[in-house]
Amino acid sequence: MSSPFTPMLDALTRQRGVRAALVASEQDGIVVDSSLQIGQSGDRVAALAASLYRKARLSARAANLGGVSFMQLEAPLGRLYAVGAGSLVLIVVAHASANVGLIRVEMLRAATELPALAGGSAA
Amino acid sequence: MVDDVSRLSDELARDPASLVFVPLGEALRRQGQLDLALRVAVRGLERHPHLADGHDLLARIAVDRGELQRAFDEWDMVLRLAEGHPGALRGMGFVCFQQGRLADAEQYLGAAAVAAPDDDGILQALAHVRAQLPDVQPVVPPAPVESTHDERFLFVDVLSDVDQTALLLDRDGLVLGGAYLDHEGNDVAQEVGAELSGVTDAARRATRHLALGDWSSIVFETEVAVVAMAPSPDDGLLLLATSRATPLGLVRRLLDRCAERAVRWLGERAA
Repeated sequence: MSSPFTPMLDALTRQRGVRAALVASEQDGIVVDSSLQIGQSGDRVAALAASLYRKARLSARAANLGGVSFMQLEAPLGRLYAVGAGSLVLIVVAHASANVGLIRVEMLRAATELPALAGGSAA
Repeated sequence: MVDDVSRLSDELARDPASLVFVPLGEALRRQGQLDLALRVAVRGLERHPHLADGHDLLARIAVDRGELQRAFDEWDMVLRLAEGHPGALRGMGFVCFQQGRLADAEQYLGAAAVAAPDDDGILQALAHVRAQLPDVQPVVPPAPVESTHDERFLFVDVLSDVDQTALLLDRDGLVLGGAYLDHEGNDVAQEVGAELSGVTDAARRATRHLALGDWSSIVFETEVAVVAMAPSPDDGLLLLATSRATPLGLVRRLLDRCAERAVRWLGERAA
């Protein structure tokens, strides 16, 4: 079953090295839609990534740094990226060898479409 | 060459988001217009902060300006973005050689030779370094931590700009050292720490669940700053904030230096 977010998530997972792409609620980390490789569990990833993004956003607000545009978590075997838009967070999990620059550009571009897609989803 | 600069400048003016800033910056660097080349590179990287070739360009400009440490930091960033980048490995080898760190130079150039086995320049440089390498390298003891009685100044001598601020938090988000000054000069460390409590645990659980290994950093971009975080001992958190104009390579290098300072300070405090 597809949702308004499906084409966007599929486009992200077609990027080299991307293992998963999800849209989740920032507030509670509940998955709105996801495009996952076989064997991945999206619920927990979404909850943890949304929590990290939310903490980053709130700390930035506490420091008067403005909105958070892009977040990345680095580990030896991969990376987790998050971009927020309204009440939603777009999350991508990728291998360490993935092209960060391309993924960042695609995520920031996709984030601009999220509010409109969310409107379509609610309709 | 002048025609190249003119053509590339026109192209960049037509499309400021274009990647043409890399060949343009390189052309300017070769002409010796280092200030202009630097401006082009920095502006390009503001739009494309994860472009390895952009950081490589910035590193070569830094070398020409005599800023070896900055060049090293930028090449270090290139390697994070493009593992095994031979140009970055060669550049870091060059910087180490210039700084008299022959063993490090040999290591970087050796890795560059593996990455680009047909590059005669790298092989010659490697042979040159190996010829000068003594059998035993002297061990350089770490510099002592600057003594300070005020924890708020823990990172003062590690940071290189007034736009930079660093903070060390414990597992509950309480401030152990450093300060977090907002743009009006107010110390908002406690507020920031409170919002970040639990980050270390959430990051660990996320990377464990995804089998990514131990997390090493979290970086997020805001409208006016880049904030980088790293785990510290006892489930603590180290946080560094810099202006958006700070190259990412330098941000990571500063984060590493702050982490070293934090570990030593916590060790001395516990002793």
